[in-house]
Amino acid sequence: MNHWWHRFFRTPGELREMGVVGINMRNARFILPNNPRQLYELVDNKIRTKQLAEERGISVPETYGIVRNPHDMSRLGMMLGNRDSFVIKPARGSGGKGILVITGREDGVYHKPSGARLSLADVKHHISNILAGLFSLGGRRDVALIEYRVTPSRILTDISFQGAPDIRVVMFHGYPVMIMLRASTRESDGRSNLHQGALGVGVDIATGRTIRAIHHGKPVTLHPDLKVPLTGIQLPEWDKILDNAVTCHEMTGLGYLGVDMMIDEEKGPLMIEVNARPGLAIQMANGVGLLKRLEPAAARAAKFQHESREAKIAFSKKTFAVESSAAGTATTS
Amino acid sequence: MASRIKLIAIVLVLTLAGGGIAVYKHVKLGIPLMVGSKPAEWLVEAKVSFIATGSPVTARLSLPASAIEKNLGFDARSAGYSFIVEEDQGEYSAIWSADEKIDNQALYYRVRFNDQGVNSGGPIAQTGDAPVPEDPGLSGSLRSAADNVVRRAKELSSNPDTLFVGVFREITAIAESPEISLLKRHYEKEAGVNALIRLGIDLLNMAGVPARVAYAVKLEEVRGAQDPIWMVEYFDGVYWKVRDPNEPASILDPRAAFVWNRGGESLLDLSGGENSQVVFTITRDQIPLERLTDLRDSSLLVSTIFGLPASERQVFSYVVLIPLGAFVVVVLRNLVGIATLGTFMPVLLALSLLEMKWQHGLVMFVVIVGAGLYFRFALSRLNLLVVPRVAACVVIVTLLMMMLSVVSWHLGIRDGLKITLFPMIILAWTIERMSLIWEEEGKRNAMLQVGGSLLVAVIAFFFMRERQIRYWAFYFPELLLVLLAGIILLGRYTGYRLSELIRFKSFRTLE
Repeated sequence: MNHWWHRFFRTPGELREMGVVGINMRNARFILPNNPRQLYELVDNKIRTKQLAEERGISVPETYGIVRNPHDMSRLGMMLGNRDSFVIKPARGSGGKGILVITGREDGVYHKPSGARLSLADVKHHISNILAGLFSLGGRRDVALIEYRVTPSRILTDISFQGAPDIRVVMFHGYPVMIMLRASTRESDGRSNLHQGALGVGVDIATGRTIRAIHHGKPVTLHPDLKVPLTGIQLPEWDKILDNAVTCHEMTGLGYLGVDMMIDEEKGPLMIEVNARPGLAIQMANGVGLLKRLEPAAARAAKFQHESREAKIAFSKKTFAVESSAAGTATTS
Repeated sequence: MASRIKLIAIVLVLTLAGGGIAVYKHVKLGIPLMVGSKPAEWLVEAKVSFIATGSPVTARLSLPASAIEKNLGFDARSAGYSFIVEEDQGEYSAIWSADEKIDNQALYYRVRFNDQGVNSGGPIAQTGDAPVPEDPGLSGSLRSAADNVVRRAKELSSNPDTLFVGVFREITAIAESPEISLLKRHYEKEAGVNALIRLGIDLLNMAGVPARVAYAVKLEEVRGAQDPIWMVEYFDGVYWKVRDPNEPASILDPRAAFVWNRGGESLLDLSGGENSQVVFTITRDQIPLERLTDLRDSSLLVSTIFGLPASERQVFSYVVLIPLGAFVVVVLRNLVGIATLGTFMPVLLALSLLEMKWQHGLVMFVVIVGAGLYFRFALSRLNLLVVPRVAACVVIVTLLMMMLSVVSWHLGIRDGLKITLFPMIILAWTIERMSLIWEEEGKRNAMLQVGGSLLVAVIAFFFMRERQIRYWAFYFPELLLVLLAGIILLGRYTGYRLSELIRFKSFRTLE
């Protein structure tokens, strides 16, 4: 059904009908009751999260070093060694703020994915900004994490303009409820934030195949820069991705969370971070209101407490499968 | 469900408590619910403060005769002191006395009158013998200079009134005569503050017109206390009159100034204390005195801030506005969904807009933030650490404000000077945060968030400026409990924000 006002807005009734979750509802109904405050520390500090994940056997990008104070900066050269590529990020950053990706090095000059060049002094300045708390919530002092730069799997670089695509799995009570792939565009400049122009690609939980994509909230079928189809792509190691996501729920104890992963060419799925306040764009990418997934998951969790992880994944795959996927293209596995 | 019942209970209790007290005040104490169409009343409060030294204290404060004779509403408060009003030949003073006080002491005396003011500077007939002018006792070159000035003024005048005008015109003339410069230098060295007024008084006395200092206050509502300003009282042969030496030619406007003390006595005599000071607080009250007195005398819960002296109470006329601003922010963020830079930054901005013409305030904000951003990007090339960078921004913002004030003064926008009330640290942080968003998320987002902040600030400003709203917040502060209930309810609103109706406009379901 199309109405003239759809060019400008949707009525609250229409959104409710589609099961769209708004920010107020997400906060009041899903985050506040299910994510106790004291657990936030586990996910707000990436060093803690990585530690927990490694204990549970989830692969994470290798940590090269941690700069905790200006004094550590003198050891920066040692931490970087002869590495040509690495990522520097604030341990408490949010929304991808303050992440510096270095893809190459030539005569002591570092290269960013965009081709921009940085000297060692520039890198150090970036780290001192991180330490001063420029990118952390509330401006509190922070530490900088230097880690392995993921070499994304070919299948994913094919649909991304620079930058590495990541996979966001939203979990509720341990059930994977919705999954999206975020791919960067020329406009988003290597970043995967949707409001900066990155693509959101919905993924079928049952199969791990992409089903549809949005750009600035509107459905698209081709990548705007690369002109390749975005649907029907089979993500590799799908079961491991789901398994990792469930483990992240178990290790943090958060009832409602988003797990971000990247797929490395050699190392397979790596957990990047866990988010206790995952955003809402995922429902647009999938074309399904979150409420349509959250309510069945909550009902299931209430009915079968302490279900095994295999059973949880099986439930999600069965219940949230997208039948006769909108994309007719052949799989590329 | 249980939490829902708790919520409803809390909201009900808050609403009933706040609303109940308000209704009680309205019905029992007769305080009008709507801001009156009656003109406001001026309240002038003198506050005597000093440090008592441990011996018996006696404080004598000269009072405005007009307040007592015309039976203006007045009252005095000071716990632990005995208080009387003494009359001496038409002059009144308040006398407080107590034994052995120590530490900081404060005594208050209040006078109220209606919007039209009181003709406190009007002519008063001399009782008893005619006053004799006092010779200031100048000698040498000063004497001859003063004589010259007096002679010139006398030649141009026909009576004491025109002489008064002539003397003060000569003193305040931009192209001053050599005699006046000489005298000014002497008086500024000897007398310091108000030297020119002292000079004028001495010159009048030399010209044979008895003159003396009178103390007055300006009738304008400003934040904080004001010091008494000096006026001149002179004798025209029959009457004593008060005029403002800065406007010598006009008769004192009773709506612009109130003369507290005339008659040549000092404003305050104090024994048993040191570091004494008299300051005045001037406010407008929207409700009649009798109602206010009832209110003040009722129980603590009901009287609230009205039990306080005007100087303390005045602060609250701004403080009570802050929750209103916070409420506007809650509505605009959680119901409408406007993104702002910093949650409560718009409230601070709105508060400073209240102090000036809001259009000017907005222009200033845009200019300062725009120019600040430019300098901030220039600074970023220097690779400074965060805190020094923000501090550098504060310095730049301060300099920009000074420049803007000077420029606007020359353009004739006098109220640009009030820009100092802008929260500078907030401005500096706004610039810093905006430049970060600019770099990280692009200028569109930076503009959107600053624009959102400005929009919220302007809406909050109009809300807080509304006379009826201010009246409720100040005279019925218990209504803040109702506001609190409203905020709690909004805190549980789980529906869509207005902005989300647009955000999800192209939502398509799979089928």
